[in-house]
Amino acid sequence: MITRRALIGTAIATSAMGLYMPRLRAAAADTLRFASSAGGPRKTDPNQTTQGSDNWAVIQMFEYLVMPPDGTFGVKPEDFQPWLAESWTTSDDSKTWVFKLRQGVQFHKGYGEMTADDVARSFLRARDEGVSTSNYTNLTDVSASSKYEVTIKLKNPDPMFLSSTVATRNVMVVSKKAEAELGEKFATEPIGTGPYQIDRFDSERGMFLSRHEGYWGEPAIIPKVECLYIADTTARTLALMSGDVDMIEGVRQPGWVPQIQAQKPDLIFDMTAPGSFNTLFFNLSKEPLQNIQLRKAIMHGINKQEIVDALTPMSNMSYTLNPPNYPTGFKLEDLPEDLRYEYNPDEAKKLLADAGFAGGLTIPVNTSQREDYSTQHLIIQEQLSQIGIKIDLKILDHSAYHATNRQNLNTLNINSSSLPPVPLYVFNQYAPSSANMTEDGKGGANYSHYGVLMPGVDDLLDQMLQTTTFDDYVAKGREVELKIQRDLPMAGLPTLSYLVVRSPRIDIGFPIKSGYAYWRFCKAKIVA
Amino acid sequence: MARYLFFRLLDMVPTVFLVLTMVFIAMRILPGDPALVALGPNADGGQLEAFREKMGLNEPLGLQYVTFLGNAVRFDFGHSLMSDVPIGTLIANNLPHTIYLTIASVVLGLVMGIPFGVYAATQRNKLPDSALRIYSLIGYAIPDFYLAAVLLIVFSLNLGWFPINGEGSGFWDGLHHIFLPALTLAMLKSAFLGRLTRTSLLEVLGRDYVRTARAKGARESRVIYRHALRNAMLPLSTGIGISILATLSGSVAIELVFNRPGIGRLLINAIQERDYPVIQAGVMMFAFFVILVNLAMDIVYLIADPRIRMKS
Repeated sequence: MITRRALIGTAIATSAMGLYMPRLRAAAADTLRFASSAGGPRKTDPNQTTQGSDNWAVIQMFEYLVMPPDGTFGVKPEDFQPWLAESWTTSDDSKTWVFKLRQGVQFHKGYGEMTADDVARSFLRARDEGVSTSNYTNLTDVSASSKYEVTIKLKNPDPMFLSSTVATRNVMVVSKKAEAELGEKFATEPIGTGPYQIDRFDSERGMFLSRHEGYWGEPAIIPKVECLYIADTTARTLALMSGDVDMIEGVRQPGWVPQIQAQKPDLIFDMTAPGSFNTLFFNLSKEPLQNIQLRKAIMHGINKQEIVDALTPMSNMSYTLNPPNYPTGFKLEDLPEDLRYEYNPDEAKKLLADAGFAGGLTIPVNTSQREDYSTQHLIIQEQLSQIGIKIDLKILDHSAYHATNRQNLNTLNINSSSLPPVPLYVFNQYAPSSANMTEDGKGGANYSHYGVLMPGVDDLLDQMLQTTTFDDYVAKGREVELKIQRDLPMAGLPTLSYLVVRSPRIDIGFPIKSGYAYWRFCKAKIVA
Repeated sequence: MARYLFFRLLDMVPTVFLVLTMVFIAMRILPGDPALVALGPNADGGQLEAFREKMGLNEPLGLQYVTFLGNAVRFDFGHSLMSDVPIGTLIANNLPHTIYLTIASVVLGLVMGIPFGVYAATQRNKLPDSALRIYSLIGYAIPDFYLAAVLLIVFSLNLGWFPINGEGSGFWDGLHHIFLPALTLAMLKSAFLGRLTRTSLLEVLGRDYVRTARAKGARESRVIYRHALRNAMLPLSTGIGISILATLSGSVAIELVFNRPGIGRLLINAIQERDYPVIQAGVMMFAFFVILVNLAMDIVYLIADPRIRMKS
């Protein structure tokens, strides 16, 4: 018969044994496990991915003709190094680009050698099919001038062609033969030239990759990579803490980094700068935001340094639409004094009175429940209350927030986006009248109606589009920045770095400075 | 009995129809645009339009509804708007995990809750009874996701006894992976079932037939389990039914925290992404589950209580 004493004794003994049991989890010696914050993978064809997290697998399997050094953005044309292309030339008018391809580059799974036909197909399908066709309308013709040479002709000159087009995800080189053979399956079983190839696409768990043994360059050091999906923040954090995964997407909310650091000081935090741009849009169709004095008052009432401090160490200051480390971005000291909009509550109150709101006013604003959005909006709400502007903040779920923004239902919305160091691309997203947001949801991301409800920068952008040298391009771009700064339909808020937390057992082989929110694992090694 | 079952099954039709209609309407009323979710906030108008066109989101609502109902009758829910995976595949990949979790947590909840309730009832107003009361109070009050995180931190992170997430492969590994999530749900369930068992048992323990059994010299365990508990089972079976249904709502948080595949996790992700076809299919699965559990409970009543059988 089991007595109570025996039962308690057994329970204690079992628990004690458990304390000394070898840990069940043991990090695999041949696998790097990465967990992103999305619910599950969608697609891995670079021309079809629509979810940022999927790019972690894409970047391991596919390559560009040229690319900047790992862990950086290519800000200037000379920042790019040969990759699948050995060399390239451009015409004086920056409209014709010829790429000489590397020979002997093998596709995954025996799909043969990469040739100019594969490259031409990769560019043309980005222009004609896929999810970002409008980014490639400048391509008029892409053809194989020989087995290892591709000639690309453009409608308009583009001195930033390498960063605006060649080193972008949709034109990553795919096997033409595999694409034709696999059909729809290519979306989840794609064939590229990268250091890893796909073994398994699991719509519930993630993507499982293995080393491409026929890789043309230095082979990947770690044989296997698992790109997993753990949407829940607690589950993802615990998975990292327990050693179940090696790297996770971090949480961009105040206090998260110090809290994790305190619990496990040896973890490594990789951050890109700028990461996400945060842009504050003044909706000029909403009363009384047409009033420039009011917009200036709001800018002087916002203490950007407080936002940076709250989101430290992920946040960096930005003064114009493009951040300072982008080609047309301004440092504070380079801006004319009247366009700096430094924090000055007294000036803000004065401007508010000049605008006819000496007694203050209330502005209804929607924000997203996502931490990065709500944090900034809440800080701004508190700051503006100090100068007499009451922000009536309504928190919506993330999808609803963006949908209502697109239906012209917001007033001071923030848009957070990871944008490349291609100023014309950034401007074209937010500033021209052609990107005007419309109430039927069919418009673009110009949430201010800039260029529609007030004269905008369309002419300047047209001129920028015709520049043929990098220096002219930048000079014109800086004119656009200043014009936007003066008209103030929108303004740059501090940027927010993309954050990945890494176990010290993994050395990724290069420092993370800037770049898109994903990086290659082929140089990574297991060091502990 | 067969006639009764037939009419109960017939009852399902308008219920499922109503659920489907409500989900369809709710999804279209909710602000949120699948095209924007799929393509990102910077997508231009042309890209968004092309996506809507491809996915049939530009069709008139009435036509979308009729198409949806027509397909639902054939159990054809189409493809996910986000991943393009057939929804049948998504359901087939996820539903078994929710069923396993439900079964495991209900079994564990019964094993923990009923004996605890019986013991508390037989020790009325003594320490075990007070302990059950406190346990139940905590069980009612504590959110499932919080309890899940606590158990994960203690048993997986610190002690390393259980895997931190996933569903495992193979029977034993699967059992190992399911234990902690099932325990989380079972602890909440057992708080409710323990309390219910205690109350039901106390009610019958004062009845004449229990007194008679004791007077005849039956052993106390026989009196409790043979005579009293069997008669307390009817209200308890209602509680078990409610508890199974509660597992469904509980599984949403548990599947997320333990990162297990399942209909709950599938549904939450789909709602965030406004993936209408997946939401509609997921909700229909839940609706079927609720209806079937209710039907099963009705059948249990019929078997357990001859008086209901007579009336029906």
